[in-house]
Amino acid sequence: MPKIKVMIVDDSPFSRTVIGESFSNLGCEVVGEVDSIDNLLEIYAQCKPDIVTMDLIMPGADGFECSEALLQYDPNAKIILLSSLKDEETEAEARRIGIVGYIQKPLEEELLERIIQNILAPDDLYNLLENKGAEIFKESLAQIITRTTKKPVKFTDIDYKSEALSSQGITTIIGIIGRYTGTMILDLSFELAESFVESMLNRPSKNQDELFNMVAELANIIAGSACSMLNKQDKSFGLRVSPPSVFSAESAQISNPNLNLQVCNADTGEGDIFLGIGFRKGTVLWM
Amino acid sequence: MDVKLINPFLQAFAEILPQIGFNTVEKAGLSLINDTLEYNGVLINISFVGPLKGVILTTMPINNAKQFATKMTMGMEFAEFDAMAQSAVSEMTNMVCANACTQFSQIGMEGLDISPPTVLVSEKGIASLPVPQTIAVNLKADEIKFNVYIAIV
Repeated sequence: MPKIKVMIVDDSPFSRTVIGESFSNLGCEVVGEVDSIDNLLEIYAQCKPDIVTMDLIMPGADGFECSEALLQYDPNAKIILLSSLKDEETEAEARRIGIVGYIQKPLEEELLERIIQNILAPDDLYNLLENKGAEIFKESLAQIITRTTKKPVKFTDIDYKSEALSSQGITTIIGIIGRYTGTMILDLSFELAESFVESMLNRPSKNQDELFNMVAELANIIAGSACSMLNKQDKSFGLRVSPPSVFSAESAQISNPNLNLQVCNADTGEGDIFLGIGFRKGTVLWM
Repeated sequence: MDVKLINPFLQAFAEILPQIGFNTVEKAGLSLINDTLEYNGVLINISFVGPLKGVILTTMPINNAKQFATKMTMGMEFAEFDAMAQSAVSEMTNMVCANACTQFSQIGMEGLDISPPTVLVSEKGIASLPVPQTIAVNLKADEIKFNVYIAIV
């Protein structure tokens, strides 16, 4: 098995030596050392480490700023914050940035070994969500629409979308919270929303509020039902949905910066429903 | 809706914005509106779930959003509200909401979590929120005006 490659970011040569020795004792290879943000990305790109250790307090850019720069360059960078400080606010900030581990100095090798194993272990649960999540939301949408309109729904293949989406008229956003956090976006035209109201109530909508309420309820049922199905597959997902927000405009651009959205279109026969679903990977281990 | 519940959000803006390059954060107005609001320009949606459920919307004209992004990127000019500027402004709201969750935990409301931000850009946009009443707060960060809407179910 190849040695685990480590890069150390710390302004103190002494600390770098101590940290380096701990990693060497665990059979890892220190492939790069950096003392500030100046050459951080350059060295990272050169040595391609499996793990980066990050000091918190450094002159100039601190460990948070360095981590943000690194994660912007490589969102999959695995950063462990090493700091003598350990308080709730520092932890919260580290989690928010996307740092995957946090160890208090002085380093205990046993603890370090456990954290490395956890960080490098494949996140099977997240992979399940990534592989099956969008399909399950698609299935949920198909069930609800078919039940409502009594017509089958045809889907395009699920694809990843990074660029902004142009709204067809009405956009519903539902936040998803749990082991992983995410977002579901449902977008459709006013005409299609109106045809759903007519299918459900056998009359046109009385006003825009009624139309929006119907779309919100539709999105809520789709997201709620999909999250229940996922929670049944694995209880530890613990997914819950936020109340839906509904937006409308003649022309709106929608984007989810820093989120890999899986998207597809559902052809209902009366028009397309755009479905977007994306989850964010959580923190791996905190010591 | 208990108006006091907005304090952790306001405190979060007051704490986070100075950390990302702003000198002053002022509250310019506060009002109670119903479930529907209009926006022009940029809107960022973040939902929250836990002991409280709801949504926080941040809106501002596109020029103000570009100014925000310029401040956050230490002077980078944005001709367009492009992907980088969108990422900066959505990151600001993400940081504020994450900080608000910490503030809530300090007053005994633990376990609040937020969704990733979604950015909408539109003229004459309408937002319909899942609550009968929404608190609208007008804020100014170094003279850049923006609005925050807090809807708690």
